[in-house]
Amino acid sequence: MSGVPFLLLIEDDDAIRTGLELGLSRQGHRVVSAATGEDGLRLLKEQRPDLIVLDVMLPGIDGFEVCRRIRRTDQLPIILLTARSDDIDVVVGLESGADDYVIKPVQPRVLDARIRAVLRRGERDSTDSAAFGPIVIDRSAMTVTKDGQDLQLTPTELRLLLELSRRPGQALSRQQLLRLVWEHDYLGDSRLVDACVQRLRAKIEDVPSSPTLIRTVRGVGYRLDTPQ
Amino acid sequence: MTDAPPPAGGAHGLRRRVPGLLRLSSLRLRLVAVFALVALTAAVSVSGIAYWLNRDAVLTRAQNSALNDFRDSLQRNAASLPVQPTCASLNNAANRIGGPDTYQVVLIDTTPDNSPCAATSNRDVFTLDDVPASLQRAVNTPHSKDDNRYHLHWERISLQGHPYLVAGARVNDGGPTGYMLKSLDAERKDLNSLAWSLGIATLLALIGAALLAQAAGSTVLRPVRRLGEAAQRLGEGHLDTRLKVSGTDELADLSRTFNSAAEALEQRVAELSAREAASRRFVADMSHELRTPLTAITAVTDVLEDEAEALDPMIAPAVRLVVNETRRLNELVETLMEVTRFDAGTAKLRVDEVDVADMIMACMDARAWLDSVELDAPRGLLATLDPRRLDVIMANLIGNALKHGGSPVRVSLRKEAAPPAGAHRAGTGAAEAPAGHGAGHEGTGRDRDGGPGDDAGGDTGAGDGEIVIEVSDHGPGIPEEVLPHVFDRFYKADASRARSEGSGLGLSIALENAHIHGGDITAANSPSGGAVFTLRLPVRPHEDDTADTADADGTSGRPSEGRSDGPGNGTPGGAR
Repeated sequence: MSGVPFLLLIEDDDAIRTGLELGLSRQGHRVVSAATGEDGLRLLKEQRPDLIVLDVMLPGIDGFEVCRRIRRTDQLPIILLTARSDDIDVVVGLESGADDYVIKPVQPRVLDARIRAVLRRGERDSTDSAAFGPIVIDRSAMTVTKDGQDLQLTPTELRLLLELSRRPGQALSRQQLLRLVWEHDYLGDSRLVDACVQRLRAKIEDVPSSPTLIRTVRGVGYRLDTPQ
Repeated sequence: MTDAPPPAGGAHGLRRRVPGLLRLSSLRLRLVAVFALVALTAAVSVSGIAYWLNRDAVLTRAQNSALNDFRDSLQRNAASLPVQPTCASLNNAANRIGGPDTYQVVLIDTTPDNSPCAATSNRDVFTLDDVPASLQRAVNTPHSKDDNRYHLHWERISLQGHPYLVAGARVNDGGPTGYMLKSLDAERKDLNSLAWSLGIATLLALIGAALLAQAAGSTVLRPVRRLGEAAQRLGEGHLDTRLKVSGTDELADLSRTFNSAAEALEQRVAELSAREAASRRFVADMSHELRTPLTAITAVTDVLEDEAEALDPMIAPAVRLVVNETRRLNELVETLMEVTRFDAGTAKLRVDEVDVADMIMACMDARAWLDSVELDAPRGLLATLDPRRLDVIMANLIGNALKHGGSPVRVSLRKEAAPPAGAHRAGTGAAEAPAGHGAGHEGTGRDRDGGPGDDAGGDTGAGDGEIVIEVSDHGPGIPEEVLPHVFDRFYKADASRARSEGSGLGLSIALENAHIHGGDITAANSPSGGAVFTLRLPVRPHEDDTADTADADGTSGRPSEGRSDGPGNGTPGGAR
């Protein structure tokens, strides 16, 4: 993950694809692009990019399905390109496993900032480890194990868990988490946090519907507890 | 909802509740009156005629039988009298003619000693004094005819309040003069009871007429009332209101006319709303379609902008123009999309609990307005709202004040107790859009959290109530005629300012963003000059907080811990 970030852009519209390729290359990224989801999945296997920028509206298998298929095997960051911010698109996209989303039309600078923020999430920041019940977070290896078994977390999920574990028993608001994890400005979309918490719970909790580790604090946000 | 309408509605309802019977001008009352009048006239004339005919017949019969009897008796008895009878024999004759149970008689003749003698059958009841003078004169008038029957005169008189028949005759050829007095009490009693019967019959006819009028009124008025109710429902917007047509009378015709009018209206409205929906869809599709080319163009604007410095001085301004106008176009399309979402009613709230002062600060900071705006906003005022929408509202209000008003622009924030449900919405601007309606009037229950442990009121200062944000400037203010239109779309106060920086949608969008929170914005002029826009938002929105309900895992066990943690951490981090 060092050096020039290597992106896979999946976008069906020629003009947008060309424009984004131009803009992102200009921002210092190496970009490979695909016009369909199938091509994108093939390129993912062949080229192993650091991150995927994925359009939601694709011919053939759509962006959500591409997202789900990638998540079955890979935990690399995915940024969705969506048309409407209020749409169900965002919710479905985040549930499918996307790490972040940007709304068209997007300035390459904004997309670049998001890309770099997502990529930073996988970076190691300290060397200690912490345990919360069956969950052990190894900050030096950037791994999380549950009952000794490795958990496959995306960089965003991992970063969220790290930020929560840094303040155990303390509630963090969605806006705080958006700044800490997503590096969003003050108008971050709290649905990002909620969707990521859901995905994280599905992976670390025994019963995701009645969580004992990541608790919701009404009117505030979330808190990581050590189970009693 | 508002304070003003209920009394009006109440009065209206009251007026409707007063039954038609009590209204002086009602058709029902008039019908009853006319029916009663007709019945009264008919009954009175019929009774009157019947009474008079009956009276005549009864009296004539009683009179004739008495007179005939008296005449026969007088003739018989007078004939047996001597030419100059004695008073005693006259008395006897009088007693023979009259009797206590038929009639009383007075006989008058000259006695042998040439003195007149008045013999009466009962001196207590009947004397010559009781006979009217006119009758005596008529009886004493000599008769020219020479038939052997003497002429009988009669009169009806009233003695001490009782009706009597009095008759008199002179026996021919110098015989005595006889008078009779017959009581007509029995006849009067009969006639009185007849009058009573007729009166009662008239009364019954009147009552019958009133009932009939009532019934007729009901049969006529029920359809009229139904028609009235239907027309009211139609007016309230239930365009599918139809009347059941039965019969072929004028009311059925009226119902048919009403139905066809309602149908035409419904069709027309459907047509119009279809057309409006089509044009809205067109705008939505249009702005959506614009995105694809815009996305492609936007993707390369940064490249162009970076290169502009190095370009030919002739080309560089052109490139910068393209870059800048592309951004403007982006914003415009974004705004249009927002408008179409409000119009389609698909705009959604994504609420979060935020420190309002921090939000305003961040909004102004992001636009580099902190130096030009005075901010009076106490920190720690928490509200559950959609941060992005509050940002849109504040950006538009402050931006508008900076652009059109004069500095200094002042923004103040305070919290007020909850007003009587929806009272402030009475002054809502004219540009209330459908989406605003939907959100604004949908339910007033604001207990998003329910459980007692979730009431974040007390210690965080965010109990129920509303936050009030005032944005005031010191410009020339808003002209009175413009004031009602400031929230209209594309309304420009100054026609000469044809191309301002704004889209002309800013205030309209701000208002709709306030409505979707269940809040409102009002515009006014401050007495000290300058315009004042007042934004009111409920501290807690009435719609469900989807973010919280999505993963409610019950933290009611330790609510106080969560509360004290959250705000304590949240504020220092600030909004930067």
